[in-house]
Amino acid sequence: MKQKAPILDKLYVALFYLVLIGGWQLFFSFGKIPDYIFPSPAQVAVRLYEIAREGLLWPSLKATLYRMGAGYSIALSIGLAIGLLMGVSHIAHKCAKSLFLGLQTLPTAAWVPISLLIFGLSDKGIYFVIIMSAMPSVAIATADGILQIPPIYIRAARTLGTPAYAMPYRIVLPAALPQIITGVKLGWTLGWHGAVSAELIKSSVGLGYLLYMGRELNDSPQVIAIMVVTILFGLLLDQFVFGVVELKIRKRWGLEKERSE
Amino acid sequence: MSQIETTATFTKPGTLSIQNVSKQFESDDQEVSALAKINLTINPGEFVIFVGPSGCGKSTLLNMIAGFERPSEGTILLDGKQVTKPHNDRLMMFQEHALFPWMNVIDNISYGLRWKFRFNWKKRKQRARELLSMVHLEQFEKASVHQLSGGMKQRVALARALAPDPKILLVDEPFPALDALTRQKLYGDLQELFTRTGKTIVSVTHDTREAACLGDRVVIFSGRPGRIIKEIAVNLPRPRDFNDPEVGRISESIMAELQHEK
Repeated sequence: MKQKAPILDKLYVALFYLVLIGGWQLFFSFGKIPDYIFPSPAQVAVRLYEIAREGLLWPSLKATLYRMGAGYSIALSIGLAIGLLMGVSHIAHKCAKSLFLGLQTLPTAAWVPISLLIFGLSDKGIYFVIIMSAMPSVAIATADGILQIPPIYIRAARTLGTPAYAMPYRIVLPAALPQIITGVKLGWTLGWHGAVSAELIKSSVGLGYLLYMGRELNDSPQVIAIMVVTILFGLLLDQFVFGVVELKIRKRWGLEKERSE
Repeated sequence: MSQIETTATFTKPGTLSIQNVSKQFESDDQEVSALAKINLTINPGEFVIFVGPSGCGKSTLLNMIAGFERPSEGTILLDGKQVTKPHNDRLMMFQEHALFPWMNVIDNISYGLRWKFRFNWKKRKQRARELLSMVHLEQFEKASVHQLSGGMKQRVALARALAPDPKILLVDEPFPALDALTRQKLYGDLQELFTRTGKTIVSVTHDTREAACLGDRVVIFSGRPGRIIKEIAVNLPRPRDFNDPEVGRISESIMAELQHEK
């Protein structure tokens, strides 16, 4: 059976959003809520255009993306290293797993107060929040991925002469990659949460800061506009950076049916 | 039968000497004896098959030769050197193909070369290509593992095991998960490669006909604890056909020994 044309799928999705925005507009038109609390989609779009024209949006977007780029890179390196240790050492796994599962239940915003106490209002605190939000899920996914590697790969690698020092990067991490990439995606999302949460309080530039400013000025169109931008970029990177990498890996492994093109 | 055209070179095979080897396992406070006092010498360039009932310890012996397990007593020597851990001198081919899914076909074959020769990338690739053509899969060089059929995967696994030029090739129950036709083709390939490379090969099976088809010498094991009850030399010319009545006759005599033991 051939899959339905992807163009038709896209049409349905476009229609869905059209209905959604139409519903929003209808609710606005017939609702009795004042527009400084609940703006119309058009008002949000106009405000977004204004913020962009005034030169507020781009520096903030850049700042948040830059912080995520740097912070998440660190989170990724630490998470992979700890996950690798947990994957090869039974004791490290037993000890750290409960801790990281616990940390994962903590809302990312809950890291903000402690980061304020430790780092004050400096940017370091934002990196701290990103790292603490993203790192546990990367570590757990890496450890779980390693523990689920079929033992036959390890045996094959040993008989082929792989020295012990080369095992982690030649065999163990690549073999666990499909699970690791899931953790990398989740970590990215949680880090994104953390970054915006921290910026709400600690920053004078960034998407979180624009949200905060919108609230201070009672500017609900700005708040919603920045929310939309935040969602859009979080999703964009998830889908087009990590999503593409994940799909490539899954295809190589034969975990994903290759579509006839 | 296809003709082998390859330039890949192979060095001299090794002599394996198994001396007074026994193996016990601990299980539930009980000591289970898997193998008892095995003495066996495997000559360079010989194709030896271990046959026996399930649980006779023949796979354990193969694992000990590979270095995955240590004997409880006795020693195993390859060219006079004691076997203590896995090494690419003694390369093992597994029941499952065990190819690495994160590498394509050619990278799988060249993987072991990295740890064996001081080859640069180009030379590794060249040798891997030669091995790939030995198993007649040139056109699948860049394919992913999952795109190959079961028989093709085993042929790639065979090429991967031979690439680092081991002194001895260990084959654990070759091709059990394949259909009969594919298996018989692989018996042909394996014999072809055996003749071509002159490797010492040790293989384990419980299929007596497979043993008669492949082996120069068939070593028959008793049930647990495994002992060698008889060795049968097979002097049929190669390549042998799985359905050859001569092979069938020898298969029957192996079967008779196994039944006699029970």
